[in-house]
This record gives sequence, structure tokens and C-alpha cells, in this order.
Amino acid sequence: MSAALSSTDPGGAAIVARGISKRYQVGRHPIDALTEVDLAIPKGKIYGLIGRNGAGKTTFVRIAATQLLPTSGSLTVLGQDVVKDASRVRLSIASVPQESRPLYFLNVDELIFLYLMMRGSDRVDARQRTNAILDELSLTSVRKRLVSHLSGGMRRRAMVAMVLASDAEVVFLDEPTTGLDPFARREVWAAIRRAKRDRRTVLLTTHYLDEAEALSDRVALLEGGRLKIEGSPSEIRESVRLPYRVTVQGGFSRPELEPYGEVSPFDGGFIVFAREPAARELALAALGRGARVSLGPVSLEDIFLQIVGRPIDQDAPSEEEGGGGG
Amino acid sequence: MIERHRMRSLLALAYMNGIVPMRTQPLYLLGVMASPLSFLFFITVASHGLLLRTAVAGGMVLTMVSIGTSLQSDMSHYRQDLKLQDLLVASPLEAPIYVAGIALSELVYSIPGIALFAVLWVVNAPVSLVTLVEVVPVLLLVWAFASGLGFTLATYFADVRETFIFSTLISLALTVVPPVYYPVSFLPPAIQPLAYLSPTTFAADLMRNAFGLEPLSVLARATDWGVLIGFTIVLLTIASFKSRWRDV
Repeated sequence: MSAALSSTDPGGAAIVARGISKRYQVGRHPIDALTEVDLAIPKGKIYGLIGRNGAGKTTFVRIAATQLLPTSGSLTVLGQDVVKDASRVRLSIASVPQESRPLYFLNVDELIFLYLMMRGSDRVDARQRTNAILDELSLTSVRKRLVSHLSGGMRRRAMVAMVLASDAEVVFLDEPTTGLDPFARREVWAAIRRAKRDRRTVLLTTHYLDEAEALSDRVALLEGGRLKIEGSPSEIRESVRLPYRVTVQGGFSRPELEPYGEVSPFDGGFIVFAREPAARELALAALGRGARVSLGPVSLEDIFLQIVGRPIDQDAPSEEEGGGGG
Repeated sequence: MIERHRMRSLLALAYMNGIVPMRTQPLYLLGVMASPLSFLFFITVASHGLLLRTAVAGGMVLTMVSIGTSLQSDMSHYRQDLKLQDLLVASPLEAPIYVAGIALSELVYSIPGIALFAVLWVVNAPVSLVTLVEVVPVLLLVWAFASGLGFTLATYFADVRETFIFSTLISLALTVVPPVYYPVSFLPPAIQPLAYLSPTTFAADLMRNAFGLEPLSVLARATDWGVLIGFTIVLLTIASFKSRWRDV
């Protein structure tokens, strides 16, 4: 699973990265934002790139979207090299960069229509596509509203609508829901799922693991610029050493739980990551002692904790920081 | 991208950044005209009206240079704050079309300012087709080199606030210090050659000649045209080679 290229047939891949590395020079100090990353991202799927801030997600996306040159390695999009054939790659891609904001003096209709015109669409085609996407993403009622007057969620949805209205086969969405409330996030999720119906390839970066799990067909976990694990959420769950999580509140001390698996403190009790027999045994023992207990498969968040050794929202030590954004 | 697509992209950019802001933010137009009109007012009052026509010529040059500084500010803002450049890099739009489109939009946006100076010119100076034939290309060359300079600088700044400082310095270096609003003969002879380090000096020379204020010899005119075209080619070449579309 960690050798990403071997797990997916590169022949059916929209994006293939081989040994892709990026080193930034910050003053006298080189910072490795990406190190020897191999990935094959299948066509027509939503692919989630997950990791903490500074893990190298944005650097990877920016290289794939021809916005940043790699230091070494190769990366192709639909068979075209992003360095040598960048202009050909650009014919088939669209991107919503991290922290991008729409032009505040445009209304929603102009934002989408003018983006399509800038991509080279003719007026009739741009108008049809604009009307269709506004309708599909329920933005018709705000089409004449200035984007500066929209909520954060609506703005991001307008940005996603803009790239989905294009004819791009590969769409890059870098942290599309960062900073949004749960309701607004779900609005953007609906827009992203629409891309899948069109059989487009979507490369999505996020540090919200629930988002990656909810949207992605496959995910890759980056940490410190290196690929840690890759696969479908269920494959990743199956591949982890301790695939079950038991939460126990009351009735047990930490030393009593340690024989069952790996123990972490949690909300006044403990989380125990364990194999199936040990997890069942612990759950039964906890019930016998009258403790509050829950048992289930690990989430991506738990997997992150197991693989990286700390929660996704906890910063890495500075020497492991990947530069150049997430 | 085929030519028809390029033209659509160019016009869409010009509309987006030129026409739409004019409609939604009309007050910004006053901002664009503020500097050229302030200098015009100051020079005219200080010279008791004697330098009005010189200042009108200078105002046209300054309006065109302002396009470059506005372009620099807009592009820096779009690149760093809105990430518009990244968004457009990942699309079929090509860098030269992006620059030309934004430059054209700035030209469109400054039309009211140019129109105002044109009215002042018509009211205060004789107008002929020959004058127009000379003035329009001069102004277009100033627009072109100022846009090239603006784009190159915009791609290098890491912080939008730096562009504000540089915009002021560039305006100062290209329009306030050199003899744009006043004749070169007003400078002490020892420093007059220094004025010719700025391309706007040559543009202002040609403008004053076209306005009939300071007739130039054929050789001087040819020199001014040559230098102005040379500056424009050099600045646009630097812009095309040194500016960054994709980050490194």
C-alpha cells in the first residue's frame, strides 16, 4: 500500500508521479517539501491527499497543476509531462488554489462566465455552461449578487462551480473547505461529488480526514513531504496493524489496557487500537466491569495517529516541517 | 490555444478588469486621475498658466505610466491575495495573453482620464491629424513599456505592501523627477543628461514636439523614437524572460 505505483495501474491513471521531490532554499537552509513521492491517481475518481499543514500536499498539487517546478522526478497529467509539455497539460486541467478568493467586484454569473471565456470558450458555450452549473449547484438565485456579498461557503462553492463549469478533465481542489462551517462544507462537498458524476478526475487536498473519507475513492497520506500510505479508505483500514478502536471510559487503568493494544488517553478515558480478537475481548471485559465502551473499525483519523504517531491537528517537530505550504 | 481563443481570453480579461470595475467601482476612476490632475493643477498655478500645455502633455504621459503601476499593484494583489495567477496558470490561458489582457484592461480603465486630458489639449492647443498620428503611438509605447515593467515587478514581490512602495518610487522615477511636466531646459545643464536615463523624458520630448511647444530637429525626433522603441522592446523582453508565470 505504501508503494503507491504498484497498487494502481499507471496505464489507467490520470496523474502519475515518479520520484517527485521539491526542495526550497530558505536563506542558507534547504527545506525538503516533498521527497521521492510516487503516486498514480486513477482517472475518473476523487483522490484525497491528506496530511497536516506543511506535509507537502499543496506542493504536490501545485507541481501537478503546472504552477510550480519540481526539483527532481517526473509527473505526468493524462500522459503529458508537467515540465516539458506544460502548455498541453494546461488544456485539460483546472484548479482552485489554496486560499484563493474570487474577484470581489464580479457577480457570481460574471465570475463563472468570464473564467470560461478566459479559458478560450466561445460566448454561446460559456453562457450555456454557466447557466447549467448555476442551476446544478443551486446558485441561480444569487447569480447577480457580488461575490463580496456572499458567505464564505457560497464563495467557495462559486469557485468550485467555476472550475466544474469548464471542460477540464482533471480538477485540482486545494483545501476547498478550510475555514468553513459544517453546513458550508457540505455545500462544497455536494459540488465536488458532482464532478465525479461527470467522470472527471479530482485531486483534493484536505487536512479534514472526515472530508477525505466522505469524498475520496482513494487517499494518500503525506507526512513531512513523504508518502506514508496510499489506497482506498477500506484498503487502508485493512492494512493497518491495529484495525479496531475500542474506547473505554471507567473501570480500567492504563496498565490494565496495555496488553490489549496501543493505548492513548481520550476524553477522560482511553482509546485502545487493537486487533479484532483483542478488541472483542476488551469490549466484553469492559462491559463486565460496567465501563462505558464502544467498539468499531478505525477511522482515517485513528490511522493517521497510528502511522504518524500524533494527531493530525498536532504540529510536527520543526525539523520535519515541509516548507512551501501544505 | 488557437488565435480565436486567445482573442476571447484577451477581451474577457480586459472586460473583467477594465469595464466591470468602472461599472461597480466608479470612485476608483477618480483615484486613477488624481495624480495627473494634481500635477497639472500645481504646475499650471505655479507657472501662472504658462506651462499648462506642457503639463497637459505630461499628464497624458503620467496617465500612461500609471497604467504600469496600477498593473503592478493589480497583478500583485491578484497573484498573492486572490491566487488568481495560480488559478489561471492551471488553464489554457497563456502568460503573454494574461499580461496583454490586464494591460489592455488598465488602458480601458484610464480612457476617462485620457479623454479629460484630450479635451484640455483640444481647448488649449491646435489639433491636427499629424499631431494625433504622433501622440497616439507615443502614448501606446509608454503604455507598453510601463506594462512590461509592471508585470515583471509584480511577479517578484512576495508581499503586496512592497508593490505600493515600488509603485510610488516608479512613479517618482519616471514622471515626477524627469522632465515630463516641465521642459528639460528647466534643469541645470550639468544634470540634464541624467534626465535621459528615463524613457519618459523621450516620450515627453515627442509629446511637446507634437503639441508644437518645443519643436525638435529630424535627428532629435528620430533619436527620441529610436530610444523609446528600444526601451519598450528591452522592457517587454525582460518581462517575457524574467517574469514568473510558474513558480520555481
